[in-house]
Amino acid sequence: MDNKNASSTAGKIIRCRAAISRIPGKPLVMEEIEVDPPKAGEVRIKILCTSLCHSDVTFWRSTQPPMAVFPRILGHEAVGVVESVGGGVEEVREGDLVLPVFQGDCGECRDCKSPKSNICSKFVNKDNQSMPRDGTNRFRDLKGEVIHNVLNVSSFTQYTVVDVTHVVKITPDIPLDIACLLSCGVSTGLGAAWKVAEVEEGSTVAIFGLGAVGLSVAEGARIRGATRIIGVDLNPEKFETGKKFGITDFINPATCGDKTVSQVIKEMTDGGADYCFECIGLASVMNDAFNSSREGWGKTVILGVEMHGSPISLNSIEILKGRSVCGTFFGGLKPKSDIATLAQKYLDKELNLDEFITHEVSFHDINKAFDLLLEGKSLRCVIWIDKQN
Amino acid sequence: MDIEKPSNKTAGKPIQCRAAIATAPGEPLVIDEVIVDPPNSHEVRVRIICTSLCHSDVTFWKMKDFPAVFPRILGHEAIGVVESVGENVDGVVEGDVVIPHFLADCTECVGCRSKKGNLCSAFPFKISPWMPRDQTSRFKDLRGETIHHFVSVSSFSEYTVLDIAHVVKVDPTVPPNRACLLSCGVSTGVGAAWRTANVEVGSTVVIFGLGSIGLAVAEGARLCGATRIIGVDVISEKFEIGKRFGVTEFVNSKNCGDKSVSQIIIDMTDGGADYCFECVGLASLVQEAYACCRKGWGKTIVLGVDQPGSQLSLSSFEVLHSGKILMGSLFGGLKAKSDIPILLKRYMDKELELDKFVTHEMKFEEINSAFDLLIKGKCLRCVIWMGE
Repeated sequence: MDNKNASSTAGKIIRCRAAISRIPGKPLVMEEIEVDPPKAGEVRIKILCTSLCHSDVTFWRSTQPPMAVFPRILGHEAVGVVESVGGGVEEVREGDLVLPVFQGDCGECRDCKSPKSNICSKFVNKDNQSMPRDGTNRFRDLKGEVIHNVLNVSSFTQYTVVDVTHVVKITPDIPLDIACLLSCGVSTGLGAAWKVAEVEEGSTVAIFGLGAVGLSVAEGARIRGATRIIGVDLNPEKFETGKKFGITDFINPATCGDKTVSQVIKEMTDGGADYCFECIGLASVMNDAFNSSREGWGKTVILGVEMHGSPISLNSIEILKGRSVCGTFFGGLKPKSDIATLAQKYLDKELNLDEFITHEVSFHDINKAFDLLLEGKSLRCVIWIDKQN
Repeated sequence: MDIEKPSNKTAGKPIQCRAAIATAPGEPLVIDEVIVDPPNSHEVRVRIICTSLCHSDVTFWKMKDFPAVFPRILGHEAIGVVESVGENVDGVVEGDVVIPHFLADCTECVGCRSKKGNLCSAFPFKISPWMPRDQTSRFKDLRGETIHHFVSVSSFSEYTVLDIAHVVKVDPTVPPNRACLLSCGVSTGVGAAWRTANVEVGSTVVIFGLGSIGLAVAEGARLCGATRIIGVDVISEKFEIGKRFGVTEFVNSKNCGDKSVSQIIIDMTDGGADYCFECVGLASLVQEAYACCRKGWGKTIVLGVDQPGSQLSLSSFEVLHSGKILMGSLFGGLKAKSDIPILLKRYMDKELELDKFVTHEMKFEEINSAFDLLIKGKCLRCVIWMGE
């Protein structure tokens, strides 16, 4: 039911298929939906491929607000082609290859203008379920019921509408499945090592959670010249996988015996790691990461979205001893400038990203992507919505 | 300032002199005669010229349980003259004017050689009752009972023994009743703004707690070119005092009405401050400071020492979404042997102001009044002159 001639749909409602999450934790349902045309400042995108990120899973199985919102179109890692643009949009046009990105970049607000921040403050009332500019929705099911957005993207659909501050042009030289990785997980990890931590040559790094985000931190630390990259994960198979991304040492918390993970890391590193990254989303692991950092200068970076809303608890004296803690969204990257840099590093063969894609499925089989991730069998499963090439 | 010529007659021998001894938690110090052993290898014996009272002395004076111990010679902010040196001491000789520093700087270990931090790994910081290298004491009372050290300094004594890792030689022409402040409190505050936070020109800074440390942060922020320095305290008089240290605006946290302090600061600063310093030592205040530093790049710096074992609790959502940084430091992130001389020079060049920190000067015999004044919040720094 593809609309082959994009310009004939401009300004009109498009009917297409989407995978809708209606009940927490239950398989997505493929349905026909209506997608409104883009309003001023918005862009309607035909999604080519998308991938599943664990944050989607967190939203999918939440039963409590604010994370639980249903019915919803999940998905926020994707690549697509611009079908039409709303009023005032000049930076992209019909036919452009673009990444929708959950992190905004308006280029005008105080944060976007500062090199120190990537937290765009143009739209202060983003509620993670509707359009940022006016709080309304562009999706409806055939009964006319509103279907909510996720993270300003919603990519598990043939067409989506995204605010232009969340749209990044990308070079068509890059393979589509690699491009889609750069719109969230992999960029987040690379950015965390590069921009947030600023890992330097010779550093020792500890990464808690070896999913796609953790492994992209490893890849980022590797190209920055870290000499030891310690991976911590409960799944022993992750070590073999991890070696491909630069992991040099592996710790399985289940096999540490009487010792805590942080004790083991402190012993291995003669005092603690220079940089610790939490890439899971559990407060207890965030504490472990902090306790594994070296006194004097140890930096802990939190990337995981805490699954249960639990607080992080840090020992005051350990903070006084020269440690720091910060969190990061999208690895501190400014989407509109930094994604292109990463794409170029991939094309120049400095960054290894191919190994992140472990599975591919068609749109029809999207629920398999969830199974694979939950079973710990995949890093990134690419879901082809429209295989153009 | 008279520097007494060191007496060759005492080198290598125990010295009998006066010290102010803490004998029981919270009890006035007792000035009594003590015996101070000669310095061992890597140690120097120093005649104290001036010392000043810091709140950390009070904390461990009042405390009943370990790491508080009694009897003990407290005091860790001071300046003195080297009376004699032990073996293997380079760079410091009899007659040198030196400042002791509680945070070790051996200059050789991984921690000291790193540019990123100031924690010595050879002599890690702890509230030890002993000399750092061999865990023994150089002090005895006249009955031969051991008297304990305090953070490797113990300056409430006419003579003390210091490990070479805890001593820095300084310009002998500096006024001792000002230079002694750089041995702890003022350096900690100024360093926190300068080194730990790296406050830049035009910044907005908030300081929770306007005691000597908080005011030293203000002084440091002023020197770094901060344009707004907002002081937060529960005593309104602190604003007038604070103005002399660069504080530009004041919030009395008891007069906030329905709003939280952090909300008031967020409103005043249109989104939050660039740097927030906690200079009191309360986990709840650290949370308040974190709440009012600006998202995107705001830094919250913890300087105050809370109870051992206390935890800071932060919302994971907030940590992830805000991009704010939480950090802490000891001794303002400074490396004592290189940075104390730098700060001293800035004082001598009339950039860094130290005079305004000294609100009282007194003789050694009056030391207990310094404790009273500090506990009642009626002083900043009391400088105690040891000399005859």
